[in-house]
Amino acid sequence: MKQDTAIAANHISKNYGSFKAVDDLTFEIFRGEVFAMLGPNGAGKSTTIRMILDILKPDSGSIMVLGGPLDDARKDRIGYMPEERGLYRGVPVIEMMVYLGTLKGMSSSDANRQGMAYLERLDLADYAHKKVSELSKGMQQKVQFAVTVMHDPDLIIIDEPFSGLDPINTMVIKDLLLDFRSRGKAVVMSTHQMFQVEEMADRMLMINQGRQALYGNVDEVRRQYALPAVIIEGEGDWTVLAGVDRIEPGENGRGGTLLYLKPDTTPDAVLGEIAARPDMRIRRFELAVPNLNDIFIQVVEGTKQNV
Amino acid sequence: MRHTLQVFLYELRRNLRRRGYLLTTFGVPLLALALMFVLQRVNLSSADTANQIVDAMETAGIQRAGFIDESGLFTGAAAPAPYTDVLTEYASEDEARAAIDAGEIEGYYIIAADYMDSGRVRLALPRMSIIDVSEAPIEALILSVLTQDEDEDVVTRIFNPSNVQATNLSITNVQAGSAEESEDANFVLVYVFTIALMMSLFVTNGYLMQSVIEEKETRLIEILISTVRPIQLLAGKILAMGLLGLLQMLVWVGGIYLALRLVSGEGTDQALGILSSLATVQLPMDILPLLIVFFVLAYTLFAALYAIVGALSNSMREGPQYAVIFTMPAVIPLYFLAVFISEPGGGLAVALSLFPLTAPIAMTIRLLVSSVPTAQILLSLALLALTVVAAMWAAGRLFRVQTLLAGQLPKLREIPRLLRG
Repeated sequence: MKQDTAIAANHISKNYGSFKAVDDLTFEIFRGEVFAMLGPNGAGKSTTIRMILDILKPDSGSIMVLGGPLDDARKDRIGYMPEERGLYRGVPVIEMMVYLGTLKGMSSSDANRQGMAYLERLDLADYAHKKVSELSKGMQQKVQFAVTVMHDPDLIIIDEPFSGLDPINTMVIKDLLLDFRSRGKAVVMSTHQMFQVEEMADRMLMINQGRQALYGNVDEVRRQYALPAVIIEGEGDWTVLAGVDRIEPGENGRGGTLLYLKPDTTPDAVLGEIAARPDMRIRRFELAVPNLNDIFIQVVEGTKQNV
Repeated sequence: MRHTLQVFLYELRRNLRRRGYLLTTFGVPLLALALMFVLQRVNLSSADTANQIVDAMETAGIQRAGFIDESGLFTGAAAPAPYTDVLTEYASEDEARAAIDAGEIEGYYIIAADYMDSGRVRLALPRMSIIDVSEAPIEALILSVLTQDEDEDVVTRIFNPSNVQATNLSITNVQAGSAEESEDANFVLVYVFTIALMMSLFVTNGYLMQSVIEEKETRLIEILISTVRPIQLLAGKILAMGLLGLLQMLVWVGGIYLALRLVSGEGTDQALGILSSLATVQLPMDILPLLIVFFVLAYTLFAALYAIVGALSNSMREGPQYAVIFTMPAVIPLYFLAVFISEPGGGLAVALSLFPLTAPIAMTIRLLVSSVPTAQILLSLALLALTVVAAMWAAGRLFRVQTLLAGQLPKLREIPRLLRG
């Protein structure tokens, strides 16, 4: 295990009766990266996260967290926000934060200070002494986030970090998570919002039916799924180009035109051909790399067909 | 250990400020105190029995009544004290009705012409009201006339022919004072003590169950058990609620004791009867340690049972419904309190004080009212302790991840599998 490895899972499996929830997964997550865990509902993401956190024991395989097997001291260095979240409803916000902070090894005064600092940062300082039940859903979501990170954990695991947040609060939380990454913390997020993964994640693991479907650097994964095509926007009759096999309208008719290239042609050659023709003008020219959403659907549907 | 302590402190602080807890803990002795003072004020003026009858009459409604004597036996007679000013004679019903209309009297009696043969007396009231009906003034008048030639002692006995005093030969906890008052006091003491014990058990353990269900319902449980082991969470909660229960019992026992002491002065003894003699009844010191052992075991047993219900339930609505399975048997001894008092060594009392779910309350009652054979105490303690161990084991097995994170109540047939892990 490398020095900067935050999580190393080695051939972990988990069964519920005859159902294989997680089937032989191996992956590493490093400090200073945002790692996305993807997969359709019921793919085994939550089970994997619960095994990392020692809430569930794997049937086989091993997991090292922050340099060793998970013990109480290492648990204190983790911040976890599950998908189904909740707070004590009848308790003042800061009091609950102090309790959960002290469970993570903070002193009461530190927990109070850090809790207040996060509430101020998240524009909730006025609500510190209000009961959780008096807060809106978005506010509760922000408090939940503050509770997760107030003890400055080295490993943050968040299931659906942006659900229930408006665009402004999404940006605030996103900035905070990126800040943690820049400070060398490992951020693991499980989400269905693919554009967030494309924007934020360095590496990813896609799980489907308990097994690893895709794993690695996000850009590399996308390039693996790149089509032999380019997306173009501009004026001209693209069918006359020598390197173009066929053309298709872009996605939803809004994403330009998709030019499928002949096997012996490169995008550079097509770009050169366009530049040489005075009757063609272009505003956009890019490789037809599919977005993660398309890859996700492709992988999941592909598995279904194989089954 | 650190986590258990943190959970303990948090639950303690949180529940100590709970309005419901404060109200039941401090409200009960305050209510007792207020009640004692009211009784004291009402009865301080005189301990005279006759006055008490007047008081009783006043509370029953009639303060002044008239009578019409058609038999001629009572004409011109004055009612004895305390009814001298209560009863006024009228010559006819018309006069009596006019007196009602004028607000001078609230009703009148008509002694029938054939009274000596039939004993008929009619009470006429301006409106029908059950609480207004009282026979005491006219009976006093009639008796005083009929017995005017008798000896005063005979008259007293006619008015009060027998003072029956029942004596329970098996009762050991009789204190100084009249036997009747002490027995009644014992009854009240046992009743109050067992109700308090039961309330404390169910109220604080109810909070324990609520707290577990709340964490399940809000899904906070997953965050908690990613840091704290389920068994640490359970231990912290049980310890906190146990202390709260004990504290509640202390406040109640201390408060009620204080209230009784405050009102047990001269002049109130006779009037307050049972209540004042309660102050002289002491919890027998020799059984106190046993009572505490039973309380602690009972508390732990119900804490474990409530924790199991909490771990299996998914909503505040479900929990109390399932808890009834355990609370119903526990309160059975209270329904048979009279049997316990009259036959503390009888089959029913012995059986209930051995069966672990009913033992805490049943044995408490028996220990308070009679001497219990040591073998029975030891057997009851052993059975209870074994059940506590089994319940704690089951709670520990069920208070685990699969159950706590499950979104629905497990089926009955799944519980053995969950217990096996």
